[in-house]
Amino acid sequence: MTCSLCRRFSISAWLIVLGLAANPSSAWADGGPSTQTRWFNPERTPELVATLVVVLAMIGAAIWTERRGLPHIRRLAPLEAIDDAVGAATEQGTPLLFTTGWGGDMGRPTTMAAMTVLSHVAGRAAEHNCPLVFPSHDPVVASVAEDTIRQAAARAGRPDWAHTAEARFVSQSQFGYAAAVDGLIARQRPGAVFLLGSFEGEALVLAEAAHQSGTRTISGTDSTIQLSFFLVACDYTLIGEELFIAADVLSGGRAAVAVRALDWLKYLILLLLVAGVLLLVTTGRDLGPFLAR
Amino acid sequence: MARRIIFALLAAILIAVMLSHARSSVPVTAQTQGVYDAIAALDSGAVVMMSFDHEAATIPEVGPLASAIADHCFRRGIRVIGLALFAEGNAAGHELLARRAAAFHRVYGTDWVYLGYRPQYTAAILGMGESIRDVFPADDDGRSLDSLPLTRRVHNYHDVNLIVSIADGSMPTYWVEYAGARYHTRIVAALSAVMVTSYIPYLGSGQLAGIVNGLRGAAEYEQLLNAPGAGARGMAAQSAAHALIALLVIVGNVEAWRLRRRSPKWNRKPS
Amino acid sequence: MPALRDRLTVSVAAATGAFMVVQYFVNAAWSDGVYRTLLDWMQIIFAASLVVGVISVLRNHLSRAISKPQERWYSLILIVSALAMSLLGFAFGAGRGSSFLWAFDHLQAPMQSTVFSLLAFYIASAAFRGFRARSGESAILLAAAFIVLVARVPLGESLSGHASSAADWIVNVPALAAKRAMLIGIGLGMVATALKVIAGVERTYMGRR
Repeated sequence: MTCSLCRRFSISAWLIVLGLAANPSSAWADGGPSTQTRWFNPERTPELVATLVVVLAMIGAAIWTERRGLPHIRRLAPLEAIDDAVGAATEQGTPLLFTTGWGGDMGRPTTMAAMTVLSHVAGRAAEHNCPLVFPSHDPVVASVAEDTIRQAAARAGRPDWAHTAEARFVSQSQFGYAAAVDGLIARQRPGAVFLLGSFEGEALVLAEAAHQSGTRTISGTDSTIQLSFFLVACDYTLIGEELFIAADVLSGGRAAVAVRALDWLKYLILLLLVAGVLLLVTTGRDLGPFLAR
Repeated sequence: MARRIIFALLAAILIAVMLSHARSSVPVTAQTQGVYDAIAALDSGAVVMMSFDHEAATIPEVGPLASAIADHCFRRGIRVIGLALFAEGNAAGHELLARRAAAFHRVYGTDWVYLGYRPQYTAAILGMGESIRDVFPADDDGRSLDSLPLTRRVHNYHDVNLIVSIADGSMPTYWVEYAGARYHTRIVAALSAVMVTSYIPYLGSGQLAGIVNGLRGAAEYEQLLNAPGAGARGMAAQSAAHALIALLVIVGNVEAWRLRRRSPKWNRKPS
Repeated sequence: MPALRDRLTVSVAAATGAFMVVQYFVNAAWSDGVYRTLLDWMQIIFAASLVVGVISVLRNHLSRAISKPQERWYSLILIVSALAMSLLGFAFGAGRGSSFLWAFDHLQAPMQSTVFSLLAFYIASAAFRGFRARSGESAILLAAAFIVLVARVPLGESLSGHASSAADWIVNVPALAAKRAMLIGIGLGMVATALKVIAGVERTYMGRR
């Protein structure tokens, strides 16, 4: 499993490096194209170093996982609450509502992580024959969600259930979307509401609507400002990167390799922070301008 | 029940203050001063790109911000190129710029141009870094950019001195990540208050030169321009709402403390 | 066949992702051309997806209007409004002074602002419910929130000359430090996910797990 994973990451790295090396290009000066030919823009050295470090960390984590197994991940209460929420909704005969927020399209990693959680929720809902509603602000997200729900139902051995689930585009407008989801919560009184993804100003409107209807709410977002609203108004909240970790845990296997890589990268950043502070205090030299270039 | 009382109280206070036409002045923060200074530092004839990255819902809050910034530009003879990356911001942005330009007798095509709306903001922001004409071959009324004196000399971000993102969401992040990081463009943001905290890290790192923060920011900017308007009016209502919420927090805590004191656990004597 | 389709999709995603990384560091004529073409495609795909979205909304509500009597009126209002706005825009234009713009300014904008304004009411009710000094930690949180809340308006200045600087310190030092730490974690999570897409491990964008 992980051998093929190492190979995949290595191939990706090679694709990037070969692309860089083979480029017979003209590079640019500040802000605009120039006729000067350069294969690499030295101004972007910090970004290149950072990219290569992350790629190396992923390859290293894949090798490590192959030899020593998957890392231990502490329990995440919001994840453990999913099964209870689905069970409670089934007992009440009410649907589940899952939405990924107005802030992200399908290209946003947060939306991808939310889709992995959706797959898990849809699988459980299919097992319990509990209806699921997925309103979205983006037609592409709605169509990927439809596919995710269909796959999850097939995996759960209930392909017919997918026809009862609704993944639909409601409105591209932020508060049009908020009003539509609000309306769904008020009319259908879902047994559990999942607010997972990138949320913006609509976060509190949705969380409070769910709270007022007395439903169980599980939330998670990468938007730091909206987290404070979720923490006040929701029963369970995945804080920032916990959403990515949750997705990795639910995917199991290969995807969970990223958890170890993220830990290593955090240690590295901590080390840089300490080194930067020490350098500044002892020699007066600041690493900041170099890194922020 | 408590929720309904809170909602009714808040509505009554906001309506009363708005009807009273009370105005409120506030001390100018460094964030707003940063935006003001960034525009004040530009020469007459410089080009500012104002992107209306908001929805119709937030017009009452971001409208005063955008008006104050447009007034500052037009007053100083700075040229403005308007555009929208949200469909709903398009009509509002065009109308606002036309109104403010008329107030300062600025001529369309020479002093200001409105490009219109383009979907898929990532592609639009990145594309304008290469060529504005690739993304907007014509202005909002269908005139070729080469036929307008202002846009004839503006090809990409290299010819733009400052970008102002008037936003109610995460759009300034994309301006910073794509236009700022890639093309070294100077960027400021005029934001609805609910989003401001998310952008403070960008101020510290210098990726944003300044932020105008909701109605308070508009009131500050109007003070800097010495022209009180919708921001100052809105600030009075906002002050009243903050005072009510502060009072509610106190009442809630007193009530909780009173209930705790009554509970048997509180009254139990230590053994 | 589905397996072949999946492989093709993953390969296209991997190649496009790797290309976007490479072209950030270099600027050859060929990469510039491909890059611009990809940006054009992104806009075309997005615009096309909106058309699909609108059709799906209308179809969905039409079937609800027929099959769900309890939601019939909501769906009918949506269909009539959507068709009326489209008709106004296509028949009479959407420029300044048009009926489309009138409807946008006087109907759509106020309705959306109404939903947005709910935030003020919800914040008041959430503050009343959430800011309780139940423990030492929540008392600190409550005190910090109270200072920021009061200092952000002229009321704070009238109570104390130091209110504004105290609020700035809370927002710019402890709150920002915590936020930066969270942003680092979120940023790393995003980069890792993006790399997993390039490596073909992450396949949720195609509905797979």
